[in-house]
Amino acid sequence: MSVVQQPARATTGYPPERLGAIPEPAPAGEVRLRVGALALASSARAMHEAGARFVTVFLADTPERSLIAAFALRGELILLRVPASGDAVCESIGAWWPAARWAERELAELHGIQFSGEDRYAARLTAPDPDSVERQVSGLDVFSIPYGPVRSGIFEAIQFHIETGGEDVPRIHTRPFFKRRGMEDRFVGLGPEAGVRVAERVAGIASCAYAACFAQAVERAVGVQAPRRAERWRAVYCELERMACHLDVIAKQAETTALYVGQARFQILKEQVMRLRSRLTGSRFARGMIVAGGVRGEGTMDLDELLAALDRIERDLRRDRRMFLGTASMTDRLIGSGRLPRALVEEYGAVGPLARGSGLSTDARHERPYGNYTRLGLRVVSERDTDAMARVRVRFGELSESLRILRQTVDHLRRRDGELRTELPAAGEGAACGWVEAPQGELVMWVELREGLLRRVNIASPSLRNWALFDHAFPKDVLTDFAFIEHSFGLTPAGADR
Amino acid sequence: MLEWIQRGLSQGRITTRYPRAGQAALADIATTGPTRAFLAPGARPLATRAGGLRRSIHVRHIDCGSDGSEEWEIQALWNPFYDIQRLGFFLTNAPRHADVLLVTGPVTAPMRGPLQRTWTVMPEPKALIAVGDEACSEGLCRADALTAGGVEAVMAVDVYVPGSPPPPIAILNGLLLAAGLPVPGQDGDGTAGTAGDSSARKASYGSTRTASDGSRGEAGDGVEGQEAA
Repeated sequence: MSVVQQPARATTGYPPERLGAIPEPAPAGEVRLRVGALALASSARAMHEAGARFVTVFLADTPERSLIAAFALRGELILLRVPASGDAVCESIGAWWPAARWAERELAELHGIQFSGEDRYAARLTAPDPDSVERQVSGLDVFSIPYGPVRSGIFEAIQFHIETGGEDVPRIHTRPFFKRRGMEDRFVGLGPEAGVRVAERVAGIASCAYAACFAQAVERAVGVQAPRRAERWRAVYCELERMACHLDVIAKQAETTALYVGQARFQILKEQVMRLRSRLTGSRFARGMIVAGGVRGEGTMDLDELLAALDRIERDLRRDRRMFLGTASMTDRLIGSGRLPRALVEEYGAVGPLARGSGLSTDARHERPYGNYTRLGLRVVSERDTDAMARVRVRFGELSESLRILRQTVDHLRRRDGELRTELPAAGEGAACGWVEAPQGELVMWVELREGLLRRVNIASPSLRNWALFDHAFPKDVLTDFAFIEHSFGLTPAGADR
Repeated sequence: MLEWIQRGLSQGRITTRYPRAGQAALADIATTGPTRAFLAPGARPLATRAGGLRRSIHVRHIDCGSDGSEEWEIQALWNPFYDIQRLGFFLTNAPRHADVLLVTGPVTAPMRGPLQRTWTVMPEPKALIAVGDEACSEGLCRADALTAGGVEAVMAVDVYVPGSPPPPIAILNGLLLAAGLPVPGQDGDGTAGTAGDSSARKASYGSTRTASDGSRGEAGDGVEGQEAA
């Protein structure tokens, strides 16, 4: 027990003794517990009772081949590790955590891990057939619409099976994984430097969040700390990215409610943020700036000029927001649509603006502060109305909060100078989790390094976890509400499918 | 609603001027990566294949496994800064109405069939544009069981728009090349796609086009960038 960096506390509701678990050494913020192969389901149940939130379940190779179930509980990430021996059947935790079902199916299909009590599916989740249609609802005049993977408009590929009698929607079934590129495997054998470039391309619209998450995981695995100035720059890039993503969702929300003039206004704001990023970094998605151990360099823009640009954006945003929220033809469509009760959101372990729109306050920046956010007072924006309007309000609130964080951080950058990069050890070894709050929600990555090269990377993307909830987003809504309920989720299939 | 209109009028025109070669404005609207498209060797622009097809070109998009950023950049073409409808490009949801197909991503296994079917039902003449590094070549995703490693492994590509992701101005460049419309700054200065295609394009317009080439091809006669507004 002497190697445990973080002593297990009796007050936290998960004493290792109660779980029959053995604590293992872990970097700060992570609690690693080894449990017996037969104790996983009971431990997961204990986690459920303690009020934890399911994050993901994945396969790891450090220190040995094992299955790891990750949970978030009271500011810590709890990793339950079960050594995987041969072709033993693992206990499914899907009964306690419905969110685990997709993750378990993915493991079963891609890695051949067998789960007991797992539902048998004829259709493969990870290699979907665009032509297969499965019906569950029967009745007079009920028909099934396979919507996707070729979407109308410029959208990413995903398929929805909508079973409807014309108006009400008794069942929607989401089918991701049309875009699976096997990104996790493409990390293997690369160095951390190249790995960041791959991470940026997992979900392109959240490049900085993925890059920062990967970089933090590598830093934690080899035990180095990025310099403060680098953390500040990362926060600047990540908050600009959050603004671009939220503005994009709001513009699409205006488009789906046929408020085209509003759509144009928010597209203008988004393009201004994109161009600001281009001037600051040379890339419209701020790619290439974050590296493992810090950032590549200073932004290529005068900081006073950056502050002035932020002021201009805020002035425009405030005016457009007031008009947007005051347009009844638009808000009437959103109020009461796509309700996601808080209990359902908790059950599925949903994250991000989606969860915060249903009264939860999960935000990785607040739960487990990292990087620059350990030194900032963050206001977590949460709404209790649970509908599409609440999610729009959360996004507006976060836009203001991002601007505040940006201004504060740029001010710090302007006043102090410092290092930008910590050198990584040449042949670093280790394994660790990294996490950030991406614009779509909490992103967790597990990174294993051996002799300085990446051995395994696992990504728990917010998009995949939140999409499981889409099947339940139509309690009282009709088919014509589909588009704006989908956009109110604000997710990216690229991140979900990987 | 009146307020929305007032707000729009008070802002004025914000349309971006198409950058001339080596123009400083490029830094603001583009990235450090490539900012233009390339016509595939032997590919013929739409204008050379159908005389009348010039000012009403319908565009369809299909995602075959991109990282999501290419979709953002294509969507940006219809925002008020680029507003490519004024150049005669329209977005269509039906492949049967489409003249140009924009393909993003390295073509993942489940998307191969939908891509081929989309292409098959499009009427002739039609052009296929590969948008993004992964669609143009293997890029990050080499060919394996999961992806085809680029669109050309599945079907012939007419225009390549490299970039990760390419900025909107490069995609606009690709659309102009595919359509055979004049590209500002690339006519006659030797910078156009391949050596032969700028002359081929000029020849195809015939005498009626040459007089108006300069002014009609301008992708924007508004003020330069929003800062000047």
